[in-house]
Amino acid sequence: MTPEPRKKSTPDRRVVFEHVSKFYGDVLGVNRVNLSIPPGITGLVGPNGSGKTTLMNMMVGLIRPSRGRVSVLGLTPENPEELFRHVGYAAQYDAFPPGLTGYQFVEAYLRVHGFPAKQAEAMAWKAIERVGLVEAAKRKVAGYSKGMRQRVRLAQALAHEPSVMVLDEPLNGLDPMARAEVIDLFRELADGGLHVIVSSHILHEVDLISDQVVLINGGYIVAEGEIGDVRDEMEEEHPMQVLVRCDRPSLLASRVFEADHVVEARLLEDGRSLLIRTRDADKFHLALNEIVLANGFAIEAVAPADSDVNAVYQYLIGANGDKS
Amino acid sequence: MAVYERNYGRYQGPLTPPWSRFLILPRYAAKDVFDSRLFVAFYALCFLLPFAGLLMIYLHHNLAALKFIELPLDELKEALPINATFFRKGIEFQSWLCFLMALFVGPALVAPDLRNNGLPLYLSRPFSRSEYVLGKMTVLVVLMSLVTWIPGLLLFFFQGYLEGGGWLGNNLRIGAAIFAGSWAWLLAVSLVALAISAWVKWKPVARVSLLIVFFVLAGFAEALNVALDTWWGNLLSLSTAMNKLWFFLFGQEDTQRWTQPVWAAWLTIILGCALSLWLLSRRVRAYEVVR
Repeated sequence: MTPEPRKKSTPDRRVVFEHVSKFYGDVLGVNRVNLSIPPGITGLVGPNGSGKTTLMNMMVGLIRPSRGRVSVLGLTPENPEELFRHVGYAAQYDAFPPGLTGYQFVEAYLRVHGFPAKQAEAMAWKAIERVGLVEAAKRKVAGYSKGMRQRVRLAQALAHEPSVMVLDEPLNGLDPMARAEVIDLFRELADGGLHVIVSSHILHEVDLISDQVVLINGGYIVAEGEIGDVRDEMEEEHPMQVLVRCDRPSLLASRVFEADHVVEARLLEDGRSLLIRTRDADKFHLALNEIVLANGFAIEAVAPADSDVNAVYQYLIGANGDKS
Repeated sequence: MAVYERNYGRYQGPLTPPWSRFLILPRYAAKDVFDSRLFVAFYALCFLLPFAGLLMIYLHHNLAALKFIELPLDELKEALPINATFFRKGIEFQSWLCFLMALFVGPALVAPDLRNNGLPLYLSRPFSRSEYVLGKMTVLVVLMSLVTWIPGLLLFFFQGYLEGGGWLGNNLRIGAAIFAGSWAWLLAVSLVALAISAWVKWKPVARVSLLIVFFVLAGFAEALNVALDTWWGNLLSLSTAMNKLWFFLFGQEDTQRWTQPVWAAWLTIILGCALSLWLLSRRVRAYEVVR
């Protein structure tokens, strides 16, 4: 089936946080959060204790905000039957009622959703097949490896065909092969019009899979949107870094420095690479083309050095989770 | 990366009624319980007394069946009358078997879900905390009902059928006592067992806690009564309260020295249930704060 192109995402097709705060007694969970998350894969990134799990718990209706309003596709926890029908959740931790097999685990939760026995059975097998766990489905979850547990958790989250999947650290414990398969599954689900909201500490994977990111630190949203847009907005404070490998890096450095948006050009130790910091990446690339043509440089590579989520995370939150 | 419209169909058929979904929980829990041979053997023994009662009622009305035994049958019949005492003693005995059942099954009901963070998965579905507790309680309530008020009422109706002559109408209080008393006891025992299971994760400790609530507190209550020459100590003892209620419900006199009024016995049972529900509400939550 060929997917249809995206229509403009109306508020009812979004996960919306309006002025949301959550306090646990005197302890801040999240504060003054305003978010509007469109369909696609959204990476929720932040250090431990930053409020990611609190945000996720509010999305799935497990906790209510102290202030503000959360709605998922226009639905609120006041309408649990509808809301929970549209939301699939996989917690960060092992959460398996004891003694169940993988199949029973998925099927039991479908019955809790209200699916009749035969329908639940069919849906359970479909979900188990999607996560590639058919052979182990009749074995007890207690005997599963970490990766298999992660997969069966995903199966229970997607079995009831939700519109929004909220997955807390879903890539933890997966081997590289399984990780690639799960990422493909996320992409397939997102291409099918779902919201796939994942939290992760593995930044390069978030960068790889996410259509947009939400960066959170200390209970506050630090940045939100497509990672390129977020990076562009930081150009003034954190000039973009571009790595250029060429035959005469010293000469290239002197030439690019003539442009007023270039703030630094540094020769790297290998003698062939140049790290350039610029306040306007678009202008820089145009200027670089002209310089190369005018001077006949032999360019081996031109690549952004800090436009990924990792760099954005470092700039906004810092390696230790301290906002810079 | 482009994002596309949802392109697959979702199940649009009928769903099961929301009120029935708590029954999913006892389904797997009961399977777990009956996986234990020890429990199966114990549970089978729980039916011995109702079966003996059935036999006694039958023989009481069919002495001819025992003619081959040379016994003073008429005297025997008078010595073992089928009356309120017969039913009270039977149901009291069965109630203590229920307690043993709670001791065996109760600690494994809530604690494993809490230990394994299972609650968020239940509660991120159209399933409330009350339904969760109801589902877990159903495991105990069903097991206990099958050995208390259900066989009790069957024996009651059997006796009424054999006796005839308006016995059933004249002794309706016995039937009501079997039903009401059993429910009071099994609710109290189930809720206390669930509350302990929610707070004490280690099974042996949970079992000891249950014994403390029902026996050590009863001993303490008795000591208070003796020391202060009062019945107020009985407010602490669920088992003493239930003992009082059995006598009251069957319309018999409780001859113990420090016996409390009936309202105090009800109060103890109600407070025990309320306290257990409060403890459950504090513990059965959708999330643990992770920071």
